Amino acid sequence: MSKTVKYSTAGLATLAAVAVSVPAHAEEYGILMKTLANPFWGAMGEGVEEGAKNAGVEYYLQAVESDQAAESQLNVCNTMLERKPVAMITAAINSTNLLPCLKKAQDQGIKVVDLDGNLDPEILAAESIDITFSIGSDNVKAGAQGAEFMVSQLGADAQGPVLVIEGLSGNITGQKRATGFADALKELAPGLEIVASLPGDWDRGKAANITNDILTRNPDLKGIFAANDGMALGAMESVFAAGKGDDVIIIGVDGNSDAVKSIKSGRLTASVAQLPYLVGKQALENVKMAVEGNDVEKQVIVPTLVLTQEVMEAGSEPMLEFVK
Amino acid sequence: MTPTHASSTPGLWSRLQEKSIEQLHIRLESIVVLLGLITLMAILSPYFFSVSNFMNILLATSTIGVLAIAATFVLSSGGLDLSLGSVLGLSGVVGATFAVNLGMPTPVAVLATIGAGALAGLVNGFVITRGFVPAFIVTLGMLGIARGLALVISDGRVIYGLPEWMVFLGQGRPFGVPMPVIIFIVVAIIMHIVLAYTRYGRHTLSIGDNENAARTAGINVEFHRLTLYTLSGGLAGLAGLLFATRINSGDPTAGITYELTAITAAIIGGTNLFGGRGSILGTMIGALIMGVLQNGLNLLAVQSYYQQMAIGGVLVLAVFIDQYQQRQETKV
Repeated sequence: MSKTVKYSTAGLATLAAVAVSVPAHAEEYGILMKTLANPFWGAMGEGVEEGAKNAGVEYYLQAVESDQAAESQLNVCNTMLERKPVAMITAAINSTNLLPCLKKAQDQGIKVVDLDGNLDPEILAAESIDITFSIGSDNVKAGAQGAEFMVSQLGADAQGPVLVIEGLSGNITGQKRATGFADALKELAPGLEIVASLPGDWDRGKAANITNDILTRNPDLKGIFAANDGMALGAMESVFAAGKGDDVIIIGVDGNSDAVKSIKSGRLTASVAQLPYLVGKQALENVKMAVEGNDVEKQVIVPTLVLTQEVMEAGSEPMLEFVK
Repeated sequence: MTPTHASSTPGLWSRLQEKSIEQLHIRLESIVVLLGLITLMAILSPYFFSVSNFMNILLATSTIGVLAIAATFVLSSGGLDLSLGSVLGLSGVVGATFAVNLGMPTPVAVLATIGAGALAGLVNGFVITRGFVPAFIVTLGMLGIARGLALVISDGRVIYGLPEWMVFLGQGRPFGVPMPVIIFIVVAIIMHIVLAYTRYGRHTLSIGDNENAARTAGINVEFHRLTLYTLSGGLAGLAGLLFATRINSGDPTAGITYELTAITAAIIGGTNLFGGRGSILGTMIGALIMGVLQNGLNLLAVQSYYQQMAIGGVLVLAVFIDQYQQRQETKV
């Protein structure tokens, strides 16, 4: 029997080895991300860390295991409150999952920042949560920029079917990008018809399957707009496998490193690049100002940039510096 | 439980061990591991040892804990329910639809939430016992059906804005204790009594131990299984209620892969994956071990990737200790 005890102790020792002790600090910034496994969130996390280092503040970054771990993110958020940070920079998984925690944070006088505009202002008002500011790209505009670029390539009087691959069902970011694209396309080139708008759940494989199916139905597909780069790359694989690589314009959103590589090699047509690194960096700079008692804008919009092979080869665009 | 066959007088540890198994139906090792973990975390993090943090742990464990109760019942009868997480999501959406879109009063919406889960469980049980389809297949099918249905009903969107009294169930704090924690503990106590001390519980365990013997002994195995899957679905519905009211919305993507976490908690707590043994108190300790581990690692700012590794490690370790001990006991 005593052996059993020994085994249990051995197990605990292993756990102790996994854990890293972090001493307590007087003034800390808590940063709550989605998952760092996604290069977009990874880049934003790096930007926040860089901003924190530049500003010389202590920070504490946490992420959850996946883009869908809504409850687990709420639990991490509650745990974060125990450390009593002065400010919390949060990238909520959806518009509601963090609400109880944000409310508590507000009651404790912690400044709350909405990173990348995941919170819904109406819901925040209904819950009487007053966030310090929201920072991110304008996703509706990013979608519209995608449509503008597609029309610039095909012409305003182009005719034909177009596929839209939405994000995760229920995710506000994906919805904004998809509707931004659809509305702008309708206005700029009414002849281009969106034959399907389907949720790809941010999943590369799912986007590839959707594209296959739609290509079967509409072999003359003119363009694909995907609400993120991962899905655009998945769609691209299907398009090239079907031998239509030169006929279909494929546009993603984010400007992540995989997409940049693909655009450079002439496969993916374009990506409406968000500058997650810059978003993260500015978020920290602004929140530091707010903590020090200065006024900050309630809604900080970081611009987006249409990345194409041409733009990258020219290299004259100043914002290219922030494309990671 | 097999009593120890030691020829000499048993030591204090083994006497305590036997007592805890007889009286409370739990193994002492799991309590030792839980207390050890708590001590370790308290040493490593200055934020760990506080009432509000323990409330956090219980709150974070409440949804998974209720699901783990369901998993314990089904597993200890030799069954399996893989649809728990999806049924949780479906129930929350059904409840939110009743309350928000149809404007039903809170009691109706609450019953609809739990009822939707129980109905999904009833369908599982019916196909398993009357259609002779293996539980693995049926509940795997339900995993897809319930998730899809949740997305269909909600049109893939989060249904926000539950009525005040429903939100109270998730966010209220009478005497400073979160409502989900109260509900979770009350349900756990009732279910512990049912499984450990009633005829229903004994039948459940004996079906899991030896189905044919149970049938010969006159237990209506098929009907009992049907009630077990319905119970499991109903508990998943309750978990869905806790989840939805906690975030004030019905989220169709809620609870993805929760069935696996629930099964993990049950097994860490000493439930036999192949039936015949299980206790709710044990499962609660299993769920708390995972909860403490996660909370502690969060406080220590350990990346979530390591947390998954740690929990995986604890699962294998728990079963290893269990098997090791059983080998020792059967050695004469």
